[in-house]
Amino acid sequence: MYKIQKSIITNEDHGVIRLSDNAFIPFSQDNTDYQAFLLWKSQGNEPLPADE
Amino acid sequence: MPYGTVNADLMTTSDGVSSAGVYGFKNRLINGDMKIDQRNAGAAVTAGTGTYTLDRWQAYDSSDAVFTVQQVSDAPTGFVNSAKITITTADASIGASQYNYFQQRIEGLNVADLAWGTASAATVTLSFWVRSSLTGTFGGAFYNSAYNRSYPFTYAISSANTWEQKTVTVAGDTSGTWLTTSGIGVAVTFDLGTGTDNTGTAGAWVGAGNIGADSTVQLASTLNATWYITGVQLEKGSTATSFDYLDYGRSLAQCQRYYENNILLGATTTSTGYFTMQSAFVSKRISNATVTSAGSYVVLNQGLSTITLGNAGALSASTRYSDTLIISAEL
Repeated sequence: MYKIQKSIITNEDHGVIRLSDNAFIPFSQDNTDYQAFLLWKSQGNEPLPADE
Repeated sequence: MPYGTVNADLMTTSDGVSSAGVYGFKNRLINGDMKIDQRNAGAAVTAGTGTYTLDRWQAYDSSDAVFTVQQVSDAPTGFVNSAKITITTADASIGASQYNYFQQRIEGLNVADLAWGTASAATVTLSFWVRSSLTGTFGGAFYNSAYNRSYPFTYAISSANTWEQKTVTVAGDTSGTWLTTSGIGVAVTFDLGTGTDNTGTAGAWVGAGNIGADSTVQLASTLNATWYITGVQLEKGSTATSFDYLDYGRSLAQCQRYYENNILLGATTTSTGYFTMQSAFVSKRISNATVTSAGSYVVLNQGLSTITLGNAGALSASTRYSDTLIISAEL
């Protein structure tokens, strides 16, 4: 499970938190963990929304 | 011995050492002697779909089998460590789309000179020491970032539980796209039991992804089967030369381009209760890395050289905080 994370600098979504280990994964196509997130999402899953 | 001018592009000594690969970054694989294990420090880890084990070495298991990877001290003369794979649950009937393998993805920047995907593609030689409780013909493969070019290969293990050195020489691929950037340049796999969807004919380039060669030993089908590997080297040229030994510090630094742990940093929080730490990492690109906080802080921003942490606004203002981080920028 993942949760969207906003940047405090830009206030825009800039990555996801992998809730299993609290790791921050940036939105970067070069990041293998982000690729795993995209695969997870393509399987019909949705991350939790970011904190407001 | 007389001295003079040598007009030659390639010199080879009587013991087979050539000038082509002696200088600089001879071994394109990192941690080929399996001595760096930052994540697990010698503990066994169960393979998943892309589990990083010993540094730079990744294990994939999508089958009903279960296997572990562990840094051990069983090694042939000249080496201290090897990676040991143990099948803890066997899958006697591996499906066509299932796979089990051990691999390293080499960054494109480190294989750019091979010129794969061009008419000038260089020949490479893979050499390694291996031992297994099983004998027979085993497989592996080279593949590209898009997983649409591959070269399956085989090697034979003739004696059970005995270290043997193997060599595979491959004429470089003149077709396809092979990244020369910070992405995946070349992946080198060792098949531990893969279905027919991802295996192919050994000894030829093919316009499809493969993890291994057809009809090879499926280690994952035998309970308690073991397979060890060390001294893995991929070098330019058609001859396997001696292993490119590096001191521990340089080996660790090579690994830390992709992964670092136990990085302790600290900073003082702002008036709004978060703290920004300057990067002190060797890691490849901090702005693209996965960051895990031992202190359960949340990454609030990640720049080119800084990381800002907070905890949902619960941190006190103008107070010194520190955290231990894990940075992963693996391929």
